[in-house]
Amino acid sequence: MFAFTVRRLIQMVVVLWAVSVIVFLMMTFTGDPVFMVVPIDATQDEIAQARRILGLDRPMIVQYGIFLSGLLQGDFGLSYVFRQPAFDLILERLPATMEMVVVAMIIATVVAIPLGVYAGANPGKPLSRLIMSGSLLGVSLPGFWVGMMLIWVLAVEYRIFPSSGRGDVGTIFGMQTSLATASGWHHIILPAFTLSVGTLAILLRMTRAGMMEVTRQDYMKFARAKGVSRRGVLYGHGLRNALIPVVTIFGLQLGDLIAFATITETIFAWPGMGKLLIDSIYRADRPVIVVYLMLVALIFVVINFLIDVLYTFIDPRITVK
Amino acid sequence: MTLNPSMRRLLTTAAFAIALPFASMVDAKDLTIGLTSDPTILDPQAGEELSSNIMFYHIYDPLVRRDADMQFGPGLAESWSLKDEKTWVFKLRAGVKFHNGEALKASDVVFTIDRLKASVMSNLSANIAGVTAVDDLTVEITTPGPYAALPNDLAAILILNEAYVTSVGDTELGLKPMGTGPYMLKEWVKEDHLTLEAFPDYFAGKARIDTVIFRPITNPATRTAALLTGELDVVQDLAVRDVDRVKAEPGITVLTRPSLLNILLAMDVREKSPTIALDKNPMADRRVREAIARAIDVATIDKVVMNGLATASAQFVPESHVGYVDGADFRAMYPFDIARAKELMAEAGFADGFTMTLDATNNRYVNDAQIAQALTSMLAQIDIDLQLNMMPKSNFWGYIRTPSDNSSFIMSGWDVPSGDAGSMYGALYYSRDKKPGYGEVNRTSYSNPEVDALLDQADSTAKIEERDGYLQEATKLLLADIPMVPVHYEQDIYALHDGVTFTPRTDKFIWAYEMDVAE
Repeated sequence: MFAFTVRRLIQMVVVLWAVSVIVFLMMTFTGDPVFMVVPIDATQDEIAQARRILGLDRPMIVQYGIFLSGLLQGDFGLSYVFRQPAFDLILERLPATMEMVVVAMIIATVVAIPLGVYAGANPGKPLSRLIMSGSLLGVSLPGFWVGMMLIWVLAVEYRIFPSSGRGDVGTIFGMQTSLATASGWHHIILPAFTLSVGTLAILLRMTRAGMMEVTRQDYMKFARAKGVSRRGVLYGHGLRNALIPVVTIFGLQLGDLIAFATITETIFAWPGMGKLLIDSIYRADRPVIVVYLMLVALIFVVINFLIDVLYTFIDPRITVK
Repeated sequence: MTLNPSMRRLLTTAAFAIALPFASMVDAKDLTIGLTSDPTILDPQAGEELSSNIMFYHIYDPLVRRDADMQFGPGLAESWSLKDEKTWVFKLRAGVKFHNGEALKASDVVFTIDRLKASVMSNLSANIAGVTAVDDLTVEITTPGPYAALPNDLAAILILNEAYVTSVGDTELGLKPMGTGPYMLKEWVKEDHLTLEAFPDYFAGKARIDTVIFRPITNPATRTAALLTGELDVVQDLAVRDVDRVKAEPGITVLTRPSLLNILLAMDVREKSPTIALDKNPMADRRVREAIARAIDVATIDKVVMNGLATASAQFVPESHVGYVDGADFRAMYPFDIARAKELMAEAGFADGFTMTLDATNNRYVNDAQIAQALTSMLAQIDIDLQLNMMPKSNFWGYIRTPSDNSSFIMSGWDVPSGDAGSMYGALYYSRDKKPGYGEVNRTSYSNPEVDALLDQADSTAKIEERDGYLQEATKLLLADIPMVPVHYEQDIYALHDGVTFTPRTDKFIWAYEMDVAE
């Protein structure tokens, strides 16, 4: 286990370094950030001065060198547009994104697993067919459409939920979060549900497929014959064996939602990280993009690591190597 | 029962103390405004994007105030006069306080301008050569040459407090601003809301609206939804396609106002064009330029592409600006006339037309991509095969940067918040590489010694009427030469709930101080 962890750590460092190099290279194609910051009729001298202030007057290699040395001291550079430390910009928006993603994943899991188990165990029943059709909708409907429909129907027409924003923020365990207030929950339902739809559908289908394969196994009939209750057979024996692919997808989706919940955040004016990324790309704000993508890579590496460890608990036959 | 005087006083005070909170509860007015984006920074010398600018004018004040109709009047400076051709003396108002209670001093103005010159926004102080504090309430500003429009430029320079800025540092200033303006920053949750509170000791009187909350909602449909549910009282930049829906809603009014942003088509007049595969650049011939102007049907673009929400440009700057020639109208000089356009093309020797590339943005101006596409079909009628090269704004500015080997026909916008055509002409139409600071954005490579001379004369007088005269002559020459085709001004579209009193500003900087809301 120790060797496994160390290997993963090394892998993580390599991945992060590669991401930073790729982003620096890519940003050479996205336009000169100076022009996004200075007024359009700036003279050559004024532009040169702006370049000096932003640190863009050196060759790319030198800029990358400065970036790396700053990294080692925990300094990720100042955003060209916000003139604040890039890392802080992301960190102050992280709680909002995490809230939305956590609630979305909870909704997805709590709905998808039981429905998937039922549909997998009773494939012929009409309810199962209904569930599967529903999941098709979930997979194919685009998130932004679902979000805007929900706003239109539930917020504008029927005034049940607010149309956008995060609501009041309170403190739980010392963390600032909107989940601590009723207003926060009121605001989070629609965006979290919109975000959860795609994941819900995928998890449901994976669970059902896994269950269908597993229910055919002899040990399932044997356990039933031994007298285990139907619920116990399905969940304790069936689901557990079907869970490996589901957990894999869960991990990938979790990383995906954290990193790229941009569309949902933009539609619901949710003050999360995703919107920061898109805006920074439009504005060629390299310091923020590089930190953001490195953070995303880190999140994916950590999640995958945890999922790999989780496998060993679900299926004791699997060992980490 | 009779009360002794002290008892009476005590009861009166108690009555007041109990009543007062109720009184303020009844009187406290708040307003929620929806913007298209969150401000990026609250340091007025670190950036100039619209939402940030809107905040700047709430929290800070300039020496000269620009009003909703582009008229310039006293701000923090109550009067000014010319000492000599290049020296202006500004008298500051007495008794102006910063939010932290400190008094405004001339040294703050000096500090502001010095810091501005070393910042990314140094271009705002391009016409200021030096600044000195004569005494606590008098500032002397010298200009490099006689410059009649200095007060206009000062309307964009917001005054900082020297002691505060030096103590908190640049990075903190972007988050915790402090100025003399009518509002103080109460809370800023990035991308969610920014709350301003009225400054009780504002020099021109406390604002009528006590609390202003700005909510950035980028998605236009969500912004409209928040307006319809009442979560927003005022919306800026209502989506064009939502205008009819919102107008039909009872209790909501839609207001439009032509913006300052003029969409211009810049035509390369160099001998050889980088995007036209002919030995001679057709657009170097004035007749071809006129043909192009006559082939563009601005009225149809307005109706079909802009849904009626554009105002055809009469000249390069709006009526309110110094340098505008009363009565001259580009559309009347060169009306839409395909037959005449074809004649002109034939006269110039291009009856068979030619192929060229239009460089345009696809995410900067309202319906910019669609306007470009409309131009393709319009110019096809005079046999110009227009290839579209559209790109995001982050690439565009670098791509078209003059002198350009990539671009010959460029669609972009230009606005002049200083209310003075001279800055625009000096940047766009002055011969390039002739005088430092002039012709920096001369995308057409236009060079007319007469225009240069007129601009030089405009910049050598400190009298605004003389400047206006020279600039008007320049306008006439430019309208005749057609280096660029002015297409239209975008419309700024606002929507408000009943009870809100609001007049849109030409410069688009919503200012809660001049608004009111019914209780």
